[in-house]
Amino acid sequence: MTAPVPTLALAHAGRRIAGRTIVRALDLELSRGEVLGLLGVNGAGKTTTLRMMAGVLAPTSGCVRLDGEDLHERPELGRRRIGYLPEVPPLHAELDAEEYLAFCARLHAVPRGAVASAVARAIERCGLGDVRRRPLGALSKGYRQRVGVAQAILHEPDLIVLDEPASGLDPIQALNLRELVRSLGRDHAVVLSTHVLPDVSACCDRVAILHHGELRHAGNVHASSTTSLRVGVSRVLREQEWRALPMVVAAESLDPAHWRVELAPGSAIDAFSAAVVAHGFGLTALAADAPPLESVFLAIAASDAPAAAA
Amino acid sequence: MNATLLIAGHEWRRLRMQPFAWTLAAVVVAFMAWQFLLALQAFVDLAPKLGGLKDAPGVTDLVAIPLLRSLSNLLLPLVPLVTMRSFAGERRAATLPLLLASGVGNLRIVLGKFVGAFGYVLVLVALVATMPLALAAGTSLDLGKIAASLLGLALFAGALTGIGVLCSAWAAQPALAAAAAFALSALLAVVDAGARLQGITNAGINYLALPTHLESFFRGIVASVDIGYFALVAAVTLALATRRLDALRGSPD
Repeated sequence: MTAPVPTLALAHAGRRIAGRTIVRALDLELSRGEVLGLLGVNGAGKTTTLRMMAGVLAPTSGCVRLDGEDLHERPELGRRRIGYLPEVPPLHAELDAEEYLAFCARLHAVPRGAVASAVARAIERCGLGDVRRRPLGALSKGYRQRVGVAQAILHEPDLIVLDEPASGLDPIQALNLRELVRSLGRDHAVVLSTHVLPDVSACCDRVAILHHGELRHAGNVHASSTTSLRVGVSRVLREQEWRALPMVVAAESLDPAHWRVELAPGSAIDAFSAAVVAHGFGLTALAADAPPLESVFLAIAASDAPAAAA
Repeated sequence: MNATLLIAGHEWRRLRMQPFAWTLAAVVVAFMAWQFLLALQAFVDLAPKLGGLKDAPGVTDLVAIPLLRSLSNLLLPLVPLVTMRSFAGERRAATLPLLLASGVGNLRIVLGKFVGAFGYVLVLVALVATMPLALAAGTSLDLGKIAASLLGLALFAGALTGIGVLCSAWAAQPALAAAAAFALSALLAVVDAGARLQGITNAGINYLALPTHLESFFRGIVASVDIGYFALVAAVTLALATRRLDALRGSPD
């Protein structure tokens, strides 16, 4: 039986601009129902990678495939199947949100009869109802960003590429955006570039970290996020009492009421918390310790020597 | 809907929303109306003397054609102002990725921009054309000659629009695009000036000049070679603009 074709596949995709290598031999795959967080410091090659994924830039080596077909041999594939929000939302300031989104819908080959409903759905999903008739040039940065997201999703593309979508959003809008990205991730393949690590933890299933144009880390966001926990207890405990729990491999006292506890790989937090309660430790707090994603990102960002992709 | 017409229609909608387009149209119509009234007054003053002449020129030759010839001169700086935003404006506003990521081919994007700008220029030509045509209510006009002149003007405007779109695709700044388009158009307008001063009117250099081909239409002659010349200029410029868009997919901005 053959494996299903991924929605997006980068096969050794690289990009040189003006003689300089911006992105080097990327291999990535993404399927419907997955959200990929793309991380990297400024200049790591994230935007160039996203442009290649969206069909705006052609790779100078390797290829970008959409459902198994080379995007740059058949650019028309992207018309219905890719939604792209660039770093700066591509808005026409003199139009209002409805006019602009109606044009975007037609540009992405939404049938004429379905344009009004597609625009209405995108406006509702992005919370643009109050500003639908205001010129885009008069909108705040947050609203402009949301119109940009709306244009990327209104034609229900297979692949949605979002470059810094939370830029300029207030905290409530950013939370709503997380919800939106999560919901989009159920039916679409979503690539999200951001500097906000909690956004990746909250929205993404997988993460890819770029550094100097190379893929340095690719993996599941939640795979190792439960190994280290910070636990508050009301009883004074000894390390041996923690080690008596079957899923605990190490415990370190931070202060009499707080412990850093390492769980065995694959252990469930609910089973751990149930065991803590059953042993009468007096559980008062339970939180992830230093997020592993942040540790990995900072370690990669701090390294300057090129390395093979993980 | 065809993507070319969709983009052209969108260009039109955007132009309608911009005070710049309305101001430009108002200035052109006001200036040409002033020229028209001056020419008409001169004709009225001259008419008694012309009455005694055999085969004397009429209102078409003395009012309508000079007005349209004057419009052709005005189009040289005017069209670059219309086309300068086609691509340079999109790049400056960072909106070009919307088109590039849409899956619509580069040629159709260029054609859409061309048709949108060309449509606006044609409306200006039509507005100015109503002035001499209004004289038909009170006098007889050589409608065939006027029709030939308007066809020539439309083709001339198409070639200038092609040059403007090309320069807009090459330049990153709208003002630079307008300046380059005007310089290129003006060069094509005067490229045979030296030869003409020496009495040479039928050499290869004359063939390159825009006015050589436009003048035939003003004389009421519709020749396929002149139509072909304007069509060729438009086609070559649009092909080069498409190539430029191909190259832009490889640039960092």
